[in-house]
Parts: sequence; structure tokens; C-alpha cells
Amino acid sequence: MGFSLLNIPSIKKLENTIFLAVILLVFKILFPESELFIVSFVTDLLVIAILYFGSLYAKELFPIKMTGIISVILNNGILNALLFFILAISSVVMPSKPSFSQTNLIYIFITTILNLAFAVAVLFIFNTKRELFFLKQKKDPKFFFNTMLVFALLTALSTNLHHNFESLEFMSNAFSVVTIILIIINSLKVSWIAFLLKRQKISLLIISIVLSAIFITNASFLMMESEFVSHMIINFSPALHTFSWLLMVYGAIYYAVIFFTTLFHLPTAEAFDRKAEEVSSLMDLSKLITQVFDFKELADTVTDLTIKVSNSDAAWLITEKDGSYELSSVKNIGYVEAEKISEDFRTNNPNELLDISTVNLNSLKFSLKNDVVTSSYKILAVAPLKVHKNTNGFLYVVRTSNLRFDEDDKKAITAFADYAAVALENALLLERSIEKERLEKELDVAREIQNKILPRTTPEVNNLEISSLFVPAFEVGGDYYDFFKLKNNKMGFVIADVSGKGIQAAFIMAEVKGIFGSLARIIESPKELLIKANEILIESLAKNSFVTAIYGIIDFNTNKMKFARAGHMPLLFCREETIKQYIPQGLGLGLNNGSTFINTLEENEIDLEDEDVIVLYTDGITEAKNASNRDFGDSRFEKLICENRQNSVDKITSEIMKAVSLFSKNNNQHDDITLVVFKLKNNHNNKFGVN
Amino acid sequence: MTDFNVSVREIGSVNVIDLKGYLDAHTAPELENAFDKLIKENRYSIVVNFTDLAYISSAGLGVFMAFVETMRENEGDIKFSNMTENVFNIFDLLGFPMLYEFFKEETEAIQKYNEKVKS
Repeated sequence: MGFSLLNIPSIKKLENTIFLAVILLVFKILFPESELFIVSFVTDLLVIAILYFGSLYAKELFPIKMTGIISVILNNGILNALLFFILAISSVVMPSKPSFSQTNLIYIFITTILNLAFAVAVLFIFNTKRELFFLKQKKDPKFFFNTMLVFALLTALSTNLHHNFESLEFMSNAFSVVTIILIIINSLKVSWIAFLLKRQKISLLIISIVLSAIFITNASFLMMESEFVSHMIINFSPALHTFSWLLMVYGAIYYAVIFFTTLFHLPTAEAFDRKAEEVSSLMDLSKLITQVFDFKELADTVTDLTIKVSNSDAAWLITEKDGSYELSSVKNIGYVEAEKISEDFRTNNPNELLDISTVNLNSLKFSLKNDVVTSSYKILAVAPLKVHKNTNGFLYVVRTSNLRFDEDDKKAITAFADYAAVALENALLLERSIEKERLEKELDVAREIQNKILPRTTPEVNNLEISSLFVPAFEVGGDYYDFFKLKNNKMGFVIADVSGKGIQAAFIMAEVKGIFGSLARIIESPKELLIKANEILIESLAKNSFVTAIYGIIDFNTNKMKFARAGHMPLLFCREETIKQYIPQGLGLGLNNGSTFINTLEENEIDLEDEDVIVLYTDGITEAKNASNRDFGDSRFEKLICENRQNSVDKITSEIMKAVSLFSKNNNQHDDITLVVFKLKNNHNNKFGVN
Repeated sequence: MTDFNVSVREIGSVNVIDLKGYLDAHTAPELENAFDKLIKENRYSIVVNFTDLAYISSAGLGVFMAFVETMRENEGDIKFSNMTENVFNIFDLLGFPMLYEFFKEETEAIQKYNEKVKS
């Protein structure tokens, strides 16, 4: 047979089949003499060709799916029953040997059509058989099936020979014996039965015995050559007759085998069903885990499926967090009872649970016994929820019967516990990432607040160069600085650092700005101002937060600078080549609400000269760290100021910042960096004035 | 952020907290927990030993501020000892020495408590 024919498009296969059928019809009309060997032999060949192309077409038409297998077999059975019906009726109604002439044109026409119809039925049955045969076969069984087919065809063709040449009977007999042996071998390939559900197996059992019976009767009908249909077919094409008969035998044997196989499979059907359900539930669950992030929903599914698969009556989950236990997804059992059982299990098994463990609840003493409520659950299984060797919870499963949990149950419960563990872990991770996102949003807000609070520009003052620089850290640090133009040719300045970080620090910073902004216009003494600021802040600050600050006033009329320090970094003062730290005594704002703050606060006053450099900063600079975690430090900072004192203030700040970033390039910036530099240019105007 | 450790020792009626590593906004809650636990057990006389503390941030300082009142209200205190110069400077700038007692050695701080009990 030309296997390249397999690639013909399906419409072509149908065309070929119909074309051959028409040829057959014409041939039969032209040569009605069926007694002639050559005529019947050609007919046989034509019929076989029709069957071949027809089967190719039918193969594409009816692919069998596992789910619809029973209905396919049922259809097959109905068709067979119909054939049986026709055979039976015809054998009763029609005479075994037709009386009219067999060369009558109408007779030939009708018999050909009838035979073709019969061929179609045969084809359909054959196709079903073939599909069933190839179903769920792991190895390629084509060889056996094709061999069987070849022998069936040989048998069919040799029938004609033996009709005409009596001495060749042994040949057709031999072929049919081989074919039947092959049929038996092929009939044993029915592994697909194992994959049926119990319900399907039961229906298959009934259908197969009926079908087997029908096939047997059909085969015996066809055996009797004197029967009408049988006779008609033999007359038409002996090969078709033999082939149909062999098919009926195949059917009879095949369905008998199915019947017995199914019968033997029935006892294990339930276990197989359960296993199948377990597998499919696990598959469902793994899908759920990737799609659902709500732990509650997943946990509910886990307990539901666990009950179903492990044949239990109730189940619940316990999640462990920081040593405390919480029940969730309690199914089919009272919350109190579940909690009681869990507690008892924990007290009786204080060691870490590494694997699934089962306990007989009868042996557990229930303090509930005085109560009306008595536990109806007899046996308990507990599986730990483990992810990366960490146990984050337990899956509890109970039964009301005394039936022990077998190995399969335990495996199933463990599998579900594992899934629950993963789900729980996912939920926690998600929670954490949401929290992280929230914190990042908060930080954005904090940065925005900070951005709005800090002055956008430095004020223009005749006798003073001012430069300020602010580099925010990732976590907003709460640095603040500001300048206030005061009346009488004075300028107030403040630098402050709020303790803590993030949005909390940003809010305090906003408050600090408000306080200094308003107090600067009312109070002309830095010390008094800080005392007032402390009074206000102590009311609103949390116990563990404080603010450090330096507030100062420069009087350009007298060239004096007064300032007070509330716990802040020193004020650095550079004149010619000497740099001096000014650290007037003073507590941080918010540390003390009473007299200690007032009594200890000092105020300094400095007479300013031309080219004096004043530096205010926050600890972000001196505590900037390098790769080996060393601080940038005071001395490095002071030396830089000295070296750059003759430069413009902008140059001084940029040089310092350059040095700091170079120093800490291999480490993160932990804190905000703020730097404010003043430089007195007292004679600047005078010089120009003289000129 | 695991490079911080808090441990508590009991020496007579005095509780010594040993700090190790970096005390900042991230590690401060650990110290807070330790204080909370002490208060729960009515232990109010505290000496904080800074021998192994490498760094303290403003959030770390805030922890002492948060708890000192409770200690003092219950006839206890938080006293500091064994600070390195760097760490002391931070406390000093803020004016802590005007509000808290600092000692070179842990024993001196403990002695101070004991004297008070005697008198």
C-alpha cells in the first residue's frame, strides 16, 4: 500500500472513495456475471480499494477522545445492533436464494448500492476499532495492527480463490487462522480501560458484554452463506464478506476482552479514581498558587481539597507567627474544638514536627469533657507547612471514623501541606513588598516636604556671601536650614537636624520651619529664641525624638554675630589660617522641658572681620563613611575649609562636597548632607566705593 | 542590619545592658524591646555599657530619652558607662551629660546605685 497516499487532503480521499464506488458500479453493470473468477476478483480489489480510501477519510473524521470514549463505543454498538436487526429480519423475510435473474440490471444496481452501504458500516466499525486500538498506547503498535490487516486482506482475497478452485481451500483457512490469532493478540491491548472513571467502567462493562454478544451473532449470521444478506454479499464480493466476518470476529473477541478486563479493573477503580482526583486537585492548586495571592482563599481551597482527597471529615490550618498560633480556614469543625485539638497536640508533641504525624484522639484528654461538647473526631493527622526547612504552620486533618490514615493519605496530606506552605510564604512576601512600596511612597512624600521647606535661593546680602548645599539621603534625614532677613540690617540663620528619618522627620521639620520662621521675627536673642522653640517643640515631639539646631543673628551694622547652639554640630569659624569650633553649651531641643535647658544654654558673640568664613553643617558630612566604614571626620573637614578659605563660598561648598563624595564613593549616603557657608566681604563695597 | 546586639546582665539589683555594633534607626527597636522587657519585670536601675558600641545615631539616642522618665519615676535611672570618645562626643554635643550620668567604668555606675540604696 502506498503510504504516501496518507498525505492526500481529506476531500481528495473522499473523492477517491466515491470515484472507486462509481467505477465498481459501472464495472458490475458491464460484467454482471459474478460466477466468473476474474470478475469477482476485480470486484474484490475494487472493494478493498474503496475500504482503504474510505478508512483514510474516516480516520480524520472521527478522532476519539478519552472523555467521549463510552459514547463512541455505544455508537459502534448501535450500528452493530442495526446490522444485526437487518440480518435477522432479512433472514426471516427474504428467501435464501433469490428467484429472479441475477443479471437483471436493477438487481445489480440495488445489490451494489446495498453492498456499498454495508461497506460503509463495516468501515465505520473498523475505524472505531482502530482508534480504540491506538488509544493510550505508549509504544508504537502499528506493526501488529498492520500485520493483522494484511492477513485479513489475504484471507479475504483467498476466499475468492477457494470459491473457484476447491483445492486452494487450505490457503484461505491458513490465512484466517493466522488473522484470528493476530486479532486475539491485538485485542489484548486495552490499557486505556485503566484510565476510565469507576462510573465509566461500570457502563463499559455492560456495553461490552452486549456488544460482544451482538458481534458473535452477527458473525454467525455472516457465516451462514445461505442467509440472504450473506448470500448477497458473497455473490457481490467474497472479499467483502470475509473481511466483514473477520471484523465481526474481531469485535466479538475485542469486546469480550474488554468485558473481562473491565471486570478485573472494577475493584481498583475507586482507588484509581481517588489517585486521579488527587493529581488533578494538585494541578488545580499549583495553578491557583500562581494566580491567587490571597492567602485566605488559597488556604480555603487547600483544606477543602485535603478533606476530599484524604477521605477526612474536617481540616484546618494553623499559621505560626512569632511563637503565637492562629487558626484559619477551619472546615467542617467548630473553631473552639479545632483549637482544643491543636492545643492538645502541641502540648503532647513539644518537639519540632518534621514530618506528618498521626494521633489517636481517643487517647487525648479533653478538658471539654465536663462540657456538653465531646469531640466526635477519632483520629488526627498533622503535617507541618515547610518552606526552605522553616515551618510556618501546620495542616490538621481529622476523621470521625477510626479508620487509620494510610501511606497514600499521608502523602496526599503532606503534598497539600507543602502547597499551603508555599502559598503562605507567597502571601507573606507579597505583604512585605506592599509594605515596602508603602514605605517608598512615604519617602517620596517626605522628600517632597523637605524640598518645599528648604529655601530655594540664598538671600542677597551686601556684606555677606552665602552658599548653601543640600544633598538628601535615600531615607529622608530631616535636615533643615533657613535664612531670615530681619529689620535693622540684620539677618537670622538657622540650621537644624531632626532625629529619626523618613516621613516622621519630614513632618517635624515642617513644624520646626514654622517655629523658627515666626520666632525669628519676634525674638532678637538667639538664646531666648531657642528657649521658646524648645518650649513649643517639647509639646509636640515624641519622647524619643529631638531636634538639634544652631540659631544665630548677624548684625551688619555692628559686624557682630550672636548665636546659640541646641545640641547641634559645632559652628566652625575660620579666620586667616586658624579654624575654631564654637560649641556653646546647650541641650538638644525636646530633651528637657524645664530649667535645665534654660540654665545650661549659652550664647556666643563674635566680632566679624573681612574674609571671615563661617561654616554650619549637619553630621551627614562628618559622618560620611568610606568603604572601610571610617568617618570623614572633623579634622579632614576643617582642613578643607582652611585650604579653601580664600575661594568664593560656592567654590568652598563644592570643594567640600567633592571631597566628601570622593571619600564615600564606595558607601551609601546614610544621612542628609547640609552645608551652609558664610563669608564676610565687609570692605568689598568700600573698596569699590573708593574707586 | 544584623550588626547590632543587645544583651542584659543582672548584677545585684542593677541591670547592665551591653550594646554591640551599630545602633541606628533600623536597630533601635531591638534596644526598645530590651527596655520594654525590663520595665515589664519591674527592673528600673539600668547601666548601659557602651564598650562594644561602634556607632549611635539620633534614633539610638532617642531610645534612652523615651525610657529614662519611666525609670526615674520608679526610683531607677539609666546611667552610661565605658563609652569610646567618638560615641561620647555625640552624647556630649547634644548635652546629654547635663541630663544623664556618665561613668568611665561599669562598676562605678553600679556602685552609684548601691550607694543610693544604702543611704
